[in-house]
Amino acid sequence: MLRSPITHDRCHVTLEAFAGQALAGISLGMVWFLIAAGLSIIFGTLKVLNLAHGSLYMLGSFCCYQVTVSLAGVPGNFWLAVLIAPLVVALVGGIIEVFLLRPIYKAEMIYQYILTFALVLIIAEVCKMIWGTGYHSVKVPWPFQGSVGIFGLSFPIYNLFLIAMGPLVFIGLRTLINKTDLGRNIRAVTENREMANALGTNVPRVYTGVFMLGAWLAGLAGSLWPPVSVVMLGSDMAVVIDCFIIVVIGGLGSLAGAFVGALILGLTTAFGLYLIPKLAVAFGFILMIIILIIRPYGLMGEPE
Amino acid sequence: MVALPYFLGQSWLSITTEMLILALAASALNIMLGYTGMVSFGPAGLYAVGAYTTGVLMEKLGWGMLPATLAAPVMAGLVGALVGWFCVRRSAVYFALLTLAFSQVIWTVIFQWYSVTGGDDGLVSVPVPDFFFEVTNCYYFMLAVVSVCLFAIWKIVNSPFGMTLQAIRENSNRVEFIGVNVKLYQLASFVISSMFLGIAGSMYCVFSGSAFPDYAYWVKSADMLVICLLGGIYNFFGPLVGTVVYTVLTKIISEYTMHWHLILGGIIVLIILAMRKGVVGTLSAYWAGRKSEAA
Repeated sequence: MLRSPITHDRCHVTLEAFAGQALAGISLGMVWFLIAAGLSIIFGTLKVLNLAHGSLYMLGSFCCYQVTVSLAGVPGNFWLAVLIAPLVVALVGGIIEVFLLRPIYKAEMIYQYILTFALVLIIAEVCKMIWGTGYHSVKVPWPFQGSVGIFGLSFPIYNLFLIAMGPLVFIGLRTLINKTDLGRNIRAVTENREMANALGTNVPRVYTGVFMLGAWLAGLAGSLWPPVSVVMLGSDMAVVIDCFIIVVIGGLGSLAGAFVGALILGLTTAFGLYLIPKLAVAFGFILMIIILIIRPYGLMGEPE
Repeated sequence: MVALPYFLGQSWLSITTEMLILALAASALNIMLGYTGMVSFGPAGLYAVGAYTTGVLMEKLGWGMLPATLAAPVMAGLVGALVGWFCVRRSAVYFALLTLAFSQVIWTVIFQWYSVTGGDDGLVSVPVPDFFFEVTNCYYFMLAVVSVCLFAIWKIVNSPFGMTLQAIRENSNRVEFIGVNVKLYQLASFVISSMFLGIAGSMYCVFSGSAFPDYAYWVKSADMLVICLLGGIYNFFGPLVGTVVYTVLTKIISEYTMHWHLILGGIIVLIILAMRKGVVGTLSAYWAGRKSEAA
């Protein structure tokens, strides 16, 4: 689960506690952003709502754990895992797109939903067969161990690193989509599939590329999170439902929307757990319903 | 169906009774899914509203069974009207996600409102009449209720109203041009579906004498969607056949292996890639093909 850095006990509301919750909420939100960005890019380009996106995240977590353990003793083993695990997940994503999604793009939406739902079942079961039902943990890697004092409150350095990753990946993705050839192709296909095809863009290849990029992002988030929490079954659906809320709040298919949505949900979750723990599970949904009343297409989405 | 108790053992008769209720829930979902073309991720929420209405009224407020079960579709219909009013205004993807959101909110309310719903302990001692402790009696009662409901659904989807729903599924823009208030029809479809889901939930509460928050969880919704798809969604009998196939498959597979989710997932993928119309759709297409060849 993605909730560990948040204080569950109720204590007096102080500036320190406030700042602590805010930082915890932002670091949570930034990891969510990585996953939601992948979900959003895939939806924007392929028009596929990938229910199995959280499963790719969970697969990334397990792979990261596996590589870290297998390379125990090798210096920087965790960082090698962060390199390798997302690539494995991207590869799995590529296989899924080519062999399973490609045949059903023309069918109704319901078939995509159910197909990706079947993948949720399959990936969870495979993870269970390989890694079992127990918890696995990954140590906080060098050089981010320990805490620093912020507003008189000690805050884990690793979470600050996570907070920095969000904007870095956001800028990276913006640059990729706005400045590179691949990005131009992605935008062309997103805008008008037939026209892009007629003008010589290899649409199937762009689809596979985008799906692999999205899977890679989910895998990256999955690799970065274990030092903060534990690796276990069940994180797949928890994460994908949170990410659905994020992309709906932000506007489906909008990268900036995913960023803003992730921040809002991260902060709401952190403060909600702190102030009204009883209703915490429903906060995201209530937030989503309220925002959609005000802005039916999400904060940064455009009417279809 | 009436003679079944003479052939089946107690445990299979009990499973068959469960199947009847599940078939009603799946058919109720299919009014929206197959006939109107709206993909809802939240049928379990309304099913749970039905189950808890009956359960709470009987266990906490001491109502009799008849008024408590009659209240279920009313309550589910009201909740359905509220949720539906909000959801049908959105595009398809938002509709799907919003129904999921609302059903999770319902789940949270059930989970947290301990004094009324029993929280995660559920309602475990709903005072159902002794009559239902006998499996055979319970089976006949459910058979009667489900048959009446299915007949009602059959009448509804084959009425002019049902035809309009199918026209909306095929091309909602054109239907709008003829002067049909599409959103109103979609809302009506949502409410009717909710009411039958409420009845199914209520019946399950009577059958098991209990209600649990799990009834509202998204996994239950996914089960219902998979059942409709297995059988075929553009056909009245699809969800019924889907229920039988799904229940028998899960019972058999889970006896032989612990990894039945893997196999179930594999089967769903195969069905979607190879026979997208589901069991009923594929068979009827096959027979239609045979007939035209013969002619």
